[in-house]
Amino acid sequence: MDGLLAIRDLHVGFRIFEGKLRVLNGVQLDVREGERVGLIGETGCGKTTTVKSILRVLPMPPARVSGGEILYRGEDILKASRRRMQELRRHELTAIFQDPLQSLNPVFTIGTQLRDIVKDSAIGRGKRLSRRDVEAQCIQALQETGMPDPGRIMTNYPAQLSGGMRQRICIAEALSTNARLLLADEPTTNLDVTIQDQILRKLDELVEEKGASVVMITHSMGVVRDLTQRANIMYAGSIVETGMTHSLLEAPKHPYTQGLMASVPKLTGEGISDGIPGRIPNYLDPPPGCRFHPRCEHRMEICESEAPPLFSVGDAQHVACYLYREAA
Amino acid sequence: MSDHPILSANHLVKHFPTKAGVVRAVDDISFDIATGETLGLVGESGSGKTTTAQCVLGIYPPTAGEISFDGAPIGVVFSRRNKELKRRIRIVFQDPGSSLNPKRTIKQILSVPLKVHGMGSARERLSMMSELLQLVELPPTEYLYKHPQAIGGGEKQMVAIARALATNPRFVVLDEPTSALDVSVQGKIINLLMRLADELDLTYLFITHDLSLMRNVATRVAIMYLGKLCEIAPTPEFFRAPQHPYTKMLLSSIPVVTSEEEALKPEKIVSQGEIPSPVNIPTGCSFHLRCPVKMPICSKVDPEMQVLSDGHVVRCHLYGNDSSANVLS
Repeated sequence: MDGLLAIRDLHVGFRIFEGKLRVLNGVQLDVREGERVGLIGETGCGKTTTVKSILRVLPMPPARVSGGEILYRGEDILKASRRRMQELRRHELTAIFQDPLQSLNPVFTIGTQLRDIVKDSAIGRGKRLSRRDVEAQCIQALQETGMPDPGRIMTNYPAQLSGGMRQRICIAEALSTNARLLLADEPTTNLDVTIQDQILRKLDELVEEKGASVVMITHSMGVVRDLTQRANIMYAGSIVETGMTHSLLEAPKHPYTQGLMASVPKLTGEGISDGIPGRIPNYLDPPPGCRFHPRCEHRMEICESEAPPLFSVGDAQHVACYLYREAA
Repeated sequence: MSDHPILSANHLVKHFPTKAGVVRAVDDISFDIATGETLGLVGESGSGKTTTAQCVLGIYPPTAGEISFDGAPIGVVFSRRNKELKRRIRIVFQDPGSSLNPKRTIKQILSVPLKVHGMGSARERLSMMSELLQLVELPPTEYLYKHPQAIGGGEKQMVAIARALATNPRFVVLDEPTSALDVSVQGKIINLLMRLADELDLTYLFITHDLSLMRNVATRVAIMYLGKLCEIAPTPEFFRAPQHPYTKMLLSSIPVVTSEEEALKPEKIVSQGEIPSPVNIPTGCSFHLRCPVKMPICSKVDPEMQVLSDGHVVRCHLYGNDSSANVLS
């Protein structure tokens, strides 16, 4: 398999005063070369922890990886040296985070920040750019994201720009490194729909052009449907369902995915379901077995004691639920 | 529409003078809300939705224009309104995490409106609070003595709803009540709100930026852009035949989850530009900078509200030929 990124059985916890938060509980994720993968989950299900584990930017302690591996082109990122990790971040991995105000430094101009990135990633490739080349590449990166008047924007501070423009700058920064894998962590959650539409369209074009792979992390199923080929549904620290985006959203199999799909308000106006009773478990003391079982209406005895593996339900779709044990 | 609007705004204006210039947050809007209906007020951030709601509640007095509730003018600030009016109009805020006092128990939180409005003796109030919690489907014995931080986001919002209902209001402003919540929790809150509207005969002004949600809850939808209303229509008609270019742009930008929905979206209008600053509103129609079908007149003259059919009003030069229809309720 020509996998670019493979996460195998990743366990990550956080040690806090009250005990140990067992957040990631055996995450499995595959990203192939040039593929766009969606990761859908609700608040607190471990989406961002997953991204930060891949980039190795989780503060340790309190965080601790207690098992599993993250393979990037066959190389275990978790075992890589700091030096190697910096190299990877410089020209292989890149990320866009939810809040551009937090990922841009408020006391430096956009130009200063963007120039640093362009210069640094060129050095990473063993090239030293002249000042004029750096400038030209920065302007080009901003133009690619559809930013009007890039010359002026370069002299501005983040606070002088609107939310949509800031997010465009983050995209420009992320893509100016020519990275192979883009981790987009809720890139449009704070934005209005019309701006979201513009940003996603631009992101789509640029990724297509550069042939990068994307992991799109979001809680919006609509965004995943528009942008990705494969989708993964995450609940309480593990992937509960994975499959081709369109077939997964048309025919969700896991009770959690079904509940989620029924609660999304739709334009057909048939009303919305009552949602899923209960809430995400406390990670200090997560339920044994399948972590969804306290909220699940189909729960069986086995769910309370053993965590379900991913069962295949045909057409590249896999579900972590004992309801589909026979199908496998 | 019903003949008897419970709330009507007539040429409502709210300007905020700032150092940078006058912010025209709400600029001459008029609408009626009939008893028992849910008016969905939709717009992007900075379009003046919340300011409109705050004028209704009296948090700000309007700069010009009138608001009337049950036929009586209420365009004064909160401190000068009588208690009866405050009892009748209530609000549920967006983020229950910050609208509930973290140092108080739920019992203390719920008792404030009851005490302020002098409802019942201490003992009666306790049973009223239990009833309120039952109304929002929270078991009173379990929740009465908890603090907000001990319960989930959805439950907090239910407490906020209970607090709003404590004084038997007739009109409730819902200011993005579910946008801070996850979808799996949102469904429960929305269905609860709809059930309560039926049971208690409430009228809602429902503010949101989520059009798919509006499709499922509102009886009429109003679209706001830069302090002005663009289009008001009954919900089914609004989604079947949107008229204003901005409405079409909004509708075609929504990410949807099924192919049936995809078929319901209007033809794709590629969205461009961003909402301009309300300090520096473009001349003429405020939308003309982003409009895909703009005409020379759009940058010069601000269009008037046009009645297209029963209850469907749109403010755009595309529909401005019939001058006899040039009226607004």
